[in-house]
Amino acid sequence: MGVRRSEFAVEVRELSRDYISTRRNHLIGKKTTTIVKALDHISFEIQEGELFGLLGPNGAGKTTTVKILCTLLEPTGGHAFVKGYDVVKEAKHVRKIVNMVAGGERMLYYRLTGRENLTYFADLYDVPRKEVASRVNRLLELVGLSERADDEVEKYSKGMKQRLQICRGLINEPEVLFLDEPTLGLDVSIAKDIRKFIQEKIVKEQGKTVLLTTHYMYEAEEMCDRVGFLNNGELVAVGHSEELKRKMPLGFSIELLVTRLSNETLEGLKHLECVKKAITTDYEGETEDEKIDRLVINVESDKAVPKVLDYMSNKHCRVVAVNLRGPTLEDLFMFYAGET
Amino acid sequence: MFLRVVLAEARKNLKQYFFTVRVLFWTLALPLGNGLYLYFLYLPFGAETVSLEFSASSFTVDLAGFTLIGQLLYSFFTMMLLAGVAFDRERWQGTLESVLLSPANRVAILLGMAIANTLNYLWLLVGVMISWVLFLNVNILIVDPLALFASILLSYLSLAALGMSLEAFCIHSRRAHMYANMLQEPIMFLSGLIFPLQSMPEALLPVSYLLPLTFGLISVRLTLLGGASIFDVAIPLTVLAFMVLIFFGLAIWLMGYAERSAKAKATLTQF
Repeated sequence: MGVRRSEFAVEVRELSRDYISTRRNHLIGKKTTTIVKALDHISFEIQEGELFGLLGPNGAGKTTTVKILCTLLEPTGGHAFVKGYDVVKEAKHVRKIVNMVAGGERMLYYRLTGRENLTYFADLYDVPRKEVASRVNRLLELVGLSERADDEVEKYSKGMKQRLQICRGLINEPEVLFLDEPTLGLDVSIAKDIRKFIQEKIVKEQGKTVLLTTHYMYEAEEMCDRVGFLNNGELVAVGHSEELKRKMPLGFSIELLVTRLSNETLEGLKHLECVKKAITTDYEGETEDEKIDRLVINVESDKAVPKVLDYMSNKHCRVVAVNLRGPTLEDLFMFYAGET
Repeated sequence: MFLRVVLAEARKNLKQYFFTVRVLFWTLALPLGNGLYLYFLYLPFGAETVSLEFSASSFTVDLAGFTLIGQLLYSFFTMMLLAGVAFDRERWQGTLESVLLSPANRVAILLGMAIANTLNYLWLLVGVMISWVLFLNVNILIVDPLALFASILLSYLSLAALGMSLEAFCIHSRRAHMYANMLQEPIMFLSGLIFPLQSMPEALLPVSYLLPLTFGLISVRLTLLGGASIFDVAIPLTVLAFMVLIFFGLAIWLMGYAERSAKAKATLTQF
């Protein structure tokens, strides 16, 4: 094995990745080259046994980061270490101690049974022969697939396939596990089971280090010790979610469900002294005869609530519901993604 | 570890891609149909035998046998081309990442895929041979079993190695499938599969002699149907042995190069 060069489970230093695409506009015309910076000098580290969330909108660079750390992609700049091993120069060592689970229904062989899939991957990872059967059985039991272990994967539901993927990700008992949107497209109860499984079995019981990427902010809020926000390839914030929320310059949020909201009223609201930001978000609801809009208003303190309500009343808007809350990860996400 | 990965890969490929009634049926039906088509195409011209000339020797073999061996080796070549696009198949079904994420030896994975295709080919070989020998009375004349064995083995290895080279290339590019299809027809024409090499325009012969299928066809036809000895087929066997070394070396080098290049260019999991 190589020499360990980092005290962290994962260490990323000034990591960059450019995607270069060339295209010829005409059959014999000149080629034009486009460079997209998927990652722009990002740095972060993950402690042993930590569940770290990497958050960001589509195209922010989350999957690119995971692929580099799993050795599936080479960076164009910077360095990354997993358990001290360089992911480029010591890729073979890294592959032995990591695994990845991606969302969606990929990475499994549908004509093989669940057990055959796991046995195949156990062979690829050189799991000791004597342990293969017991490890496969234990993993299948852990995710509740024992009874369907000998059915072909094509007969599995989406949730079952995802649970089997998690077994595949654990087949080599990885020290660091990368979960790239592991609950993508799953229904609420299955996603909840999977989150619980990751937190309790993988992190707490087995002490594994996990890097999770997700779009679902409640998922990150519920699961992660620390989070990092990526936007346009840049890591714009890293830390404990409570700490990030405290530092967030947006203060409180008032959520209003209102009727008779006009553009003029919304624009006027934005100009109130106590209001920092005001946006309408998707909401499908209506009273007996009127459409309901959902307003999220960022204010500095709770003292702004009566002022906002007075304003809405003066503008003849009917307030159906009011909710005052501190910033959530979703607010942070919107803030860092530049959508507030 | 190496052997374990080879076997695991072969088992997986057989179950995932070949063990269905439909695949097994068409594996047998297509070459059988194609071979019969060629045989009956030649019959009206009154050619019941075909003269094969190579180097200074000349052998006469019967038409059914000539077509049979041509079709069998061509089917094997096609199957190896199919093995060649196995990584492309993995790419499309979304499993390539999970395979390359593992520390398993890449050459062992290639070999496993080639072995699965070979086992599938054995089914074709036995089925087509039995049908032709029983129904078309192919005249088999084996004088030197060692020469026959060497011819079959080296033909197999050279075509398998060619397939593996292509397979490695598939990691690099999603266009490999297209190249495999492009190669198929010209190779069928140039290798002497449909007609003997001496009927080929001389200008094209140098290209024919670059193909392992050409030498495989010569050596197997002569040793199985023409009663040739090991000395008669020494040249094609030597050429085949060189081709085995070249293509295996190329496959091993390409595998490493293609994976590195695909990771650098981000084409590894591109659909």
